[in-house]
Amino acid sequence: MTSLPLLEPASQVPPDTRCFDEAAAAQMERFVRDFGRMYRERNEALREVTRAHHAALLHLSAAADLKDDDTGVHIVRIGYLAEALALALGQTVGYARMLRKAAPMHDIGKIGTPDSVLKKPGKLTPEERQTMNCHAAMGAEILGRSNIPVFRMAAEVALTHHERYDGQGYPAGLSGEAIPLSGRITAVVDFFDALTMDRVYRPAFAVPVALEMLAAERGRAFDPVIVDTFLAHAEAIDALRCKITQECPSFDALIDAP
Amino acid sequence: MKKILIVEDHIDIRKLLKMTLEFDDFEIHEAATGDAGWVLACELQPDIVLLDVMMPGTLNGLDVCRRIKSDPGMRHTKVIMLTARVQSDDRAAGFAAGADDYLMKPFSTLQVLETIYRMEAAH
Repeated sequence: MTSLPLLEPASQVPPDTRCFDEAAAAQMERFVRDFGRMYRERNEALREVTRAHHAALLHLSAAADLKDDDTGVHIVRIGYLAEALALALGQTVGYARMLRKAAPMHDIGKIGTPDSVLKKPGKLTPEERQTMNCHAAMGAEILGRSNIPVFRMAAEVALTHHERYDGQGYPAGLSGEAIPLSGRITAVVDFFDALTMDRVYRPAFAVPVALEMLAAERGRAFDPVIVDTFLAHAEAIDALRCKITQECPSFDALIDAP
Repeated sequence: MKKILIVEDHIDIRKLLKMTLEFDDFEIHEAATGDAGWVLACELQPDIVLLDVMMPGTLNGLDVCRRIKSDPGMRHTKVIMLTARVQSDDRAAGFAAGADDYLMKPFSTLQVLETIYRMEAAH
């Protein structure tokens, strides 16, 4: 039974045979070690650049949001709620984490929307509506200049968070799964969070009312699977919403949290 | 910290692989034969195994891969086969044995890390 080694003379070869000349091996190790140092230094530098860029864009998003009568915590909430919803949908931790960092910048394009339109009480004229709708593409343009994955995702969210599942949204009129998941998730979270906060023109809706309004858009504005998942986890998501409002995490926390 | 086991009979290649993995924070273990690799894998239940195909001893890399893949304690373990460029059949044989990915020798330092990050991201 243990006669295998006899059949396989190769097994007699002692393991750990060298394959390189000793001096060559030493030189190669030196190269690899130097390469390793450069690799780490490069990653560290890239992290620093990403972080500074991210912080600047979050501040710009907060500025755009302030124009739109909010305190700034709305965009932070959008990040954490989108992350929670992505996880509930079965997405990977990595995807959910990236969405947390990307989604808060979805309305950055409003920085370019005139206040006369953004703050207009009452209904917008068709021209004003068109001006308003430009914020999606403008945001995507501001964010999309980077090749760093989190900003690519942020640009995707900015561009598609006003698309509707039934194809009646803007700017492209995409429908169903043609709308990137990141945009579909952020749309739902943004809708719920906007309803449950006080606005200058109306007080916040009670959570059960907001959930009903969300359910009413199932398969219309929003992806039915995402709405169902949201409703199934509504209690936990709302608890998270309250927690974020209370703790008001900084942009640094939003960027750095694991 | 991710636990990675390197199973490779050439000491120089093994060392270069280890040095590559040291670019990041991994817990690294090594074995010089398929037999020793299998014993160590059972003991450590590593997250990732970098596994050479051709090795002396009773178990080659494909045998070790099959054993890992049918072990209930190592369902989370990802196997990356190290295959020689000249033996193109290695790749198909590796996947048939249940390997999750493969790397060609001579291995690319960056590809080793990218492949490992991809495995992590899939979790």
